[in-house]
Amino acid sequence: MTPFVADVLIPLGKIAAVILYPMVMVVVMIWLERRVVALMQGRLGPNRVGFQGVLQPVADAVKLFFKEDIIPRQADKLLFNISPVLVMFSSLLAFCFVPLGEPVRIGTTTLTLWIADSPVGLLIVLGLSSISVFGVIFGGWASNSKYPLMGALRSVIQVLSYEIPTGLAVLTVVFLARSMDLVEIVRRQEASGVWYGFLMPVSFVVFWISAVAETNRAPFDLPEAESELVAGYHTEYSGMKFAYFYMAEYAHMVLVSSLVVILFFGGWLPPFQGVKALAFLHAVPGFIWYLVKIMFFLYLYVWIRATLPRYRFDSLIRLVWKWLIPLALANFLVVALVRFLR
Amino acid sequence: MRRLRRFLKSFFLVDILRGLAVTLRLYFSRKVTVEYPEKVQVPAPRFRGLPRLYRDEKGEPLCIACKLCQRACGTNCFDIEGKRKEGAKFMRPEKFDWKLDRCTFCGFCVEVCPTSAIRFSPEFRLTGVRKDGLLFHRDEMYLQGDDLQDHLCGGCRRVP
Amino acid sequence: MAFREIDLNMGPQHPSTHGVLRLKLAVDNEVVLRVEPVLGYLHRGMEKLWESLTYTQIVPLTDRLDYLASLSNNLAYCLAVEKLAGIEVPRRARYIRVVLAELQRLASHLAWTGFMANDIGAMSVLLYGFEAREDILDIFEEYCGARLTVHGIRIGGAVHDLDGPLVSRIRAVLERIPKRLADIRSLLDENRIWKERTVGIGRITAGEAIDYGLTGPPLRACGVAWDMRKDIPYSSYDDFDFDVPLGTNGDVYDRYLVRLEEICQSIRIVGQALDGLPEGEFKAKVPRVLKIAPGEAFHTIEAPKGVLGFTVRSNGTDKPERVKMKSPSFINLQSLEHLCQGNLFSDVIGILGSLDIVLGEIDK
Repeated sequence: MTPFVADVLIPLGKIAAVILYPMVMVVVMIWLERRVVALMQGRLGPNRVGFQGVLQPVADAVKLFFKEDIIPRQADKLLFNISPVLVMFSSLLAFCFVPLGEPVRIGTTTLTLWIADSPVGLLIVLGLSSISVFGVIFGGWASNSKYPLMGALRSVIQVLSYEIPTGLAVLTVVFLARSMDLVEIVRRQEASGVWYGFLMPVSFVVFWISAVAETNRAPFDLPEAESELVAGYHTEYSGMKFAYFYMAEYAHMVLVSSLVVILFFGGWLPPFQGVKALAFLHAVPGFIWYLVKIMFFLYLYVWIRATLPRYRFDSLIRLVWKWLIPLALANFLVVALVRFLR
Repeated sequence: MRRLRRFLKSFFLVDILRGLAVTLRLYFSRKVTVEYPEKVQVPAPRFRGLPRLYRDEKGEPLCIACKLCQRACGTNCFDIEGKRKEGAKFMRPEKFDWKLDRCTFCGFCVEVCPTSAIRFSPEFRLTGVRKDGLLFHRDEMYLQGDDLQDHLCGGCRRVP
Repeated sequence: MAFREIDLNMGPQHPSTHGVLRLKLAVDNEVVLRVEPVLGYLHRGMEKLWESLTYTQIVPLTDRLDYLASLSNNLAYCLAVEKLAGIEVPRRARYIRVVLAELQRLASHLAWTGFMANDIGAMSVLLYGFEAREDILDIFEEYCGARLTVHGIRIGGAVHDLDGPLVSRIRAVLERIPKRLADIRSLLDENRIWKERTVGIGRITAGEAIDYGLTGPPLRACGVAWDMRKDIPYSSYDDFDFDVPLGTNGDVYDRYLVRLEEICQSIRIVGQALDGLPEGEFKAKVPRVLKIAPGEAFHTIEAPKGVLGFTVRSNGTDKPERVKMKSPSFINLQSLEHLCQGNLFSDVIGILGSLDIVLGEIDK
């Protein structure tokens, strides 16, 4: 392979992939959400644009692109413009650290399926995903309007509170894997033969609940509760800036689903590793397994949204401080104890 | 014991799982959406669509310009002037203006009509882009189907 | 800490004020201190308009008051006029009216369940409620050709007779509704989030409720057995055997339970009315131009939203001198501030939803 290909084309291709892959997933997710919610409610949902309406989100984005971009007169222009970018940027940047699979060998060269391989990849991803809350705060504050402000305040408290159980749940995984490298965590699960989600179901449940809360999704979608706060922190946004918030939220969901799959469900590993009779499952490429698992969790997001009412603010906080954090702490102690005794 | 069971039920999210089961079951159930332009629901026989004037089997107008509908109407939709031609048996409307934008589809005109000249049609497509499409003169009151749609919106509607 | 109070305008274009209601809220953070409903965005001058219309011409306009329960409005107005004019309604017509009014109650309560759940965030229930309501609207379409502003009850009786096919269709729909209701109940009744959002929220005691003049399900949720159908029967309601569901706590959850139970009771009433449908005329002989000697009459019915009353004063012509309406939504709404005080902003939506207001009826 020529140095040109190795040093220029492959990195460029990877960068394009890191932008395209979340975007495609976002489009699929928006379509999935609208279709699945509709089907659960006895309706059909969008099914006109493209095959079964797959291109509906694209049509919506094109529409939003041509909408007038309104900046309220009393808004803080700089922050108002920056915040959608910040939200989008932090979500996309985190995808650089999320591996898509084991390195692939093409001829003599190996192609790694991630951009940056960091020994503390997990920390960076978690950190980046919580930067996006700054975009939400700035957006709500800069709008200089009451509903967005209330949405932003709710968002801050919610995300800050739910970071703690997330961290505690992730710590148990780090404990078992003895690494913060996302690829290494998957490899350890392959070596141990049991996915951590089955080994530590409590960690998984705590992580999942906090993840739903951190992505501001139902039943924890208080910052944008449409029946209370109209649209929450992005009430005053229109056109492409609104689309940025919208897409970033979905990109965040894809990111969280990827994390859940990597941390608790073996990433790109095929299921039933130990069973000889099901060895044919290994013939399916790891990337497909990875996508299937992610899609399951995205479906779960939508399924929960179609089912549950919305929490009230105080009970949301009560849930995290009185239930999730003690549970996560106890779980952490048990895992540490077991780890220590073995 | 009961408190323990309640705690366990709550701890294992029984209520939420039951809700999820309901939505999953309905996910596979029959859908009620009727995909409109392709499939059109036939309105009930008594459906109160756009009121129309009708003719008898020989093609003669049924309306005898008795103005009962005009009097029964609560929102003054009608403006009727009748005239009896020399040697004719009945009066016929010279002028029969009917305003769709005032109509509340209450059905008084249909109930009161002695010759059943004005009746509800099954037409439910009432939109247009021009204000004067909402005013119907005498001859336009007989329009049906695509001609009626042309009158309402000046030919803007796509014919499937 | 300094007292920081901000004014928050909710509406008139807010997703969950059920129309064009404007609430002026004073909130401290998210705690509601004061609520002031501002009305009049849907005022159409109905009561004045009626003075220029004949008695019969008013009936279709009453559809537009509480547009989720148009038949109840028709019934209340027609009963008042009949009382004033001394028109005897045939027994069959009274039974048909009961069937229609109870179907309308079903439709209204099912729509309410959907709206309420959607306000609290359970979006699917909205569609389930509407799907069940759709069946009832189809019956109305079959019966008289309209679905929302039905205009199915006339002075002296009903507009059409209930024939065999329609009766069997109504029975089929009544069998389907409990299944839909079971889905809704398993989604909400035991759900922890639903209970946290509704149990103990917007509480009012029986005494306070009576002082505020609350009627309908919000009153019965406090345990006050006051139902016009039982206490001052009209339109042959005393022929039927049904219960008046009562709550105990007077909170949002009890109002929800009372309404769901009322749906079951309405199904019972419709079944009995269809079984015992007497032979006879479906409409009394009423002169085409109805002139009523000077006098005044007041009649109330139990509408889905509460006690609905009409006062009609005649002056010997074919037009009323004055028609005054006692609308349940309007009176129930005035308890909003009392119910909301000290609750969180999110609860205002739940409490407002639980009162089941319709702006067409409040602003008239």
